[in-house]
Amino acid sequence: MENVATDENWKTCFSQLAPGLVLFARQWARSSADAEDIVQEAFVRFWRKQHDIANRGLLYAAVRSIALDFLRRDNRRARRESTAASETDQTVQPMFEIEDESQRALVAALDLLPNEQREVLVMKIWNDLTFAEIASALEISQNTAASRYRYALANLKKNLLPV
Amino acid sequence: MNDFSEIEDKLRKLRPVQPSADLMTRIERALAEARSGESLHRENGSTSTAGVLPREHRFHVNWLSLGLGLAAAAALVLFARFQLERPVKKTPALAAITPAPAFSSTSLTAQFVPAGLTQVVYHTRDEGLHFPNNSEQPMRRVRSHTRETLRWRNPITGASLRISYPSEEVSLVPVTGQ
Repeated sequence: MENVATDENWKTCFSQLAPGLVLFARQWARSSADAEDIVQEAFVRFWRKQHDIANRGLLYAAVRSIALDFLRRDNRRARRESTAASETDQTVQPMFEIEDESQRALVAALDLLPNEQREVLVMKIWNDLTFAEIASALEISQNTAASRYRYALANLKKNLLPV
Repeated sequence: MNDFSEIEDKLRKLRPVQPSADLMTRIERALAEARSGESLHRENGSTSTAGVLPREHRFHVNWLSLGLGLAAAAALVLFARFQLERPVKKTPALAAITPAPAFSSTSLTAQFVPAGLTQVVYHTRDEGLHFPNNSEQPMRRVRSHTRETLRWRNPITGASLRISYPSEEVSLVPVTGQ
């Protein structure tokens, strides 16, 4: 995926990355619409600055940064509108297309993971990032990224055992 | 890592929800706006994301704040200079060798009196045992780094003066036998 800032190219790049990027942003956003706004902003910034699309770590770092800003504002808004926030909690939109009960259990187990483990897992499994790219996006070492991934899988396995 | 291959397979079978169809259109519009209407975008600072997304940060010089800040800094410098110079000018040189004359109200305002001494030891290093000259008893040499702060205060005006400097001290502590 060469980064030449033409209409055709960004569409090709984005259509490949979009589902994973939106899923990544969903970790901090309550709804798909919010996650899409975050991804839109990050991608537009990334593309306008003509960053190399091969540098995916930078793109995910941009998504994460914008998502965290969004989360801070969203939390402030939630505090102001506490009743409205409790209603939205009950109507959280799904992040995956669930086909059976085992997948539902897996998604439930994913929700139980600590954020730092889940974000590494999402980047690795659904975005195919290398540990080097994950490390660059999260500003951690590759060893830390790899160990967070292993802990996430171990925790998932443990949480799925009783089912 | 092999232990986790089964769970990795299960995870890969989970399909993330597809983004909405209009996301691509929105990005296309945003990129087009960015390219063609850069100047317009700069003028009104609007975004196409319903205000959800952060605006770009540009460097703006706020001349009013800068001017006020500089004026305040200049006033502070003048005030400090005035306060520091007054004792030198007003205190008579003979005061040290002749009985102090009766203080006028102006000389009182220019007087700074010692208000305190603070000595903070921020690092101590034990440099081990040593045998100083003419001593058979071993001594422990301890090197400590301190910061001393001397303060003066004018009781009339409330102005204060502070001098702070680092210092290093080496002390020899006799070692008691056991």
